[in-house]
Amino acid sequence: MFSRLREANFKIITILFGLVLAVFIVALLIGVVTHTTPQALIDSLLSGETQFAIRLSLITSVISTLFCIIVSVPAAYALARYNFRGKNILNTILDVPLALPPLVAGVALLILFGTTSFGKGLAEAGIRFVFTPLGIILAQFFVNMPFMFRVLRTTFQGINPRYEYVAQTLGSTEAGAFWRVTLPMSRNGLMAGSIITWCRGIGEFGAALMVAGSTRMQTETLPISLYLNMSCGELPLAIAAATILIVISLVSLFIFEKFSGFAHVF
Amino acid sequence: MVRVENISKNLGEFFLKDVSLGVADSEYLMILGPTGAGKTILLETIAGIYSPDKGKVYLNDRDITTLPPRKRNIGMVYQDYMLFPHLNVEQNIKYGMRSRKLSKQEISQKVDKLANLLGVAHLLQRHPGTLSGGEQQRITIARALIMEPEVLLLDEPLGALDSKTRIKLREELRRIHSFTHTTMIHVTHSFDEAFLLGSQMAIMNDGEIVQVGEPSEVFRKPNCKFVAEFLGVTNVFRGESVIDNGIAYININGLRVASATIRDGQVYTSVRPEDVLLSIKPIESSARNSFKGEIQDISDTGTIVRITVDVGVPFVAAITRRSFLDMGLKQGMEVFLTFKAVDVHVF
Repeated sequence: MFSRLREANFKIITILFGLVLAVFIVALLIGVVTHTTPQALIDSLLSGETQFAIRLSLITSVISTLFCIIVSVPAAYALARYNFRGKNILNTILDVPLALPPLVAGVALLILFGTTSFGKGLAEAGIRFVFTPLGIILAQFFVNMPFMFRVLRTTFQGINPRYEYVAQTLGSTEAGAFWRVTLPMSRNGLMAGSIITWCRGIGEFGAALMVAGSTRMQTETLPISLYLNMSCGELPLAIAAATILIVISLVSLFIFEKFSGFAHVF
Repeated sequence: MVRVENISKNLGEFFLKDVSLGVADSEYLMILGPTGAGKTILLETIAGIYSPDKGKVYLNDRDITTLPPRKRNIGMVYQDYMLFPHLNVEQNIKYGMRSRKLSKQEISQKVDKLANLLGVAHLLQRHPGTLSGGEQQRITIARALIMEPEVLLLDEPLGALDSKTRIKLREELRRIHSFTHTTMIHVTHSFDEAFLLGSQMAIMNDGEIVQVGEPSEVFRKPNCKFVAEFLGVTNVFRGESVIDNGIAYININGLRVASATIRDGQVYTSVRPEDVLLSIKPIESSARNSFKGEIQDISDTGTIVRITVDVGVPFVAAITRRSFLDMGLKQGMEVFLTFKAVDVHVF
């Protein structure tokens, strides 16, 4: 009897911890959204500056996500399917940007593309990353590539290579089998990876700040807008940016959960 | 005609060691062996998924060792189907037709023909995930056969099915083989399948082929202890064989067993339990071997009862349930075992 009571208490206590955490999170979000009046929030959302930030964030994050897909698909496939010398080291290196503080990643990108002859050569050819929207894309790509890569690697690993073997006995080349069988079978992983990468791209701040700077109406993404307006006391504008970011995060999280059992990847 | 010559392949956990094997046209070869014997990798090497470390693969005397799978025209069917889940049944069956230069009409005729042959015509618009195991395996066979392969490789195709479906599909395979005359190489764990389908049988162990022959031949005359034990041939003993007057007498732990196979020195012998006659009184017969012993163990498997009798060594006799009941056998009873010298197999 006593032990059963204790067991019941244990259950209740652990659940309480979960509840307290949840209340904390929800309270924080509600606090942000309700900080200004609804009218001020709407006005700020419709302001030219916020509109610019929304547009820039959407464009840069979509483009950087596309680049992440283009590069991660073959790389993740190679590391999921083949055995070769140096595979483990390669795997670890490809995960490094994940562990690196974004500010450090930003500094590294700034040094490579801003100060070396490689970066200067690119700039002379018209491809300028420093203090441009292109730099935002570069920063988002570099910092978020590991997320795409890891989701895809897990996805490809989860697909029995025998599907491809059968496809090859049915007349497909290796690439053909990948294209017609493995890739369509990876649809959910590709979807989940794209969402998480895109969502993180929208929220990317540190690395983008280092490479592209924070110039109002030029390299002003939503997080930069939040930062700029917070520092000069334009609270409604800052809250507007924060609100949009919250909505995007919640929607992305919902879609991500729907498409994947990949939560363990992170 | 498929021929592999001295194939070696090392995949770490699985490997092949110097495997040579020939399969004639229209042959139905069964491959048996314990898990990890290298059966699947042999099939996959023949299909061209792995290139062997050493050795050659020939198809109709053409060296195809370095040819990619798509150029071999060898079909593959796996135990767990490997149907493409994002395609419906029709798209699965005609997957391979893209590499053939055929009109849409010709392709759909072929699909219909095979779907009818395998009884899956009503499933064409369904997706594989919604089908039963038996239905899925029929579709994989159709998908492979539409290519009109020279050789069809089947890796435990009936292994994942329930027993009723397995028997049905086994008959289907036999029908398809007699109908298409496709050369088949079929890996299985089931002796029934090996007997009912195979015109030839190969036993694999440890990456090697240890015996090849007609199934009944292999069962009757295992060429080594491993094959005898693997095939569940009981009454396998080791002894010293001495030839006396044209008959070999094998001394097994004091028991003197006569054999018609003349060989001297250390040998293994086996006697199939169903060749051993069990009686309560000694029988007058031409059979040379008759021993008295005590019943040690009775194992009732339903229709057949296996009686272990201690005649110096534990000897198993298989009798029908009917005669088991008629004789009223019990543990500890004294009985006689009789068997012919020709039934004592020596290897």
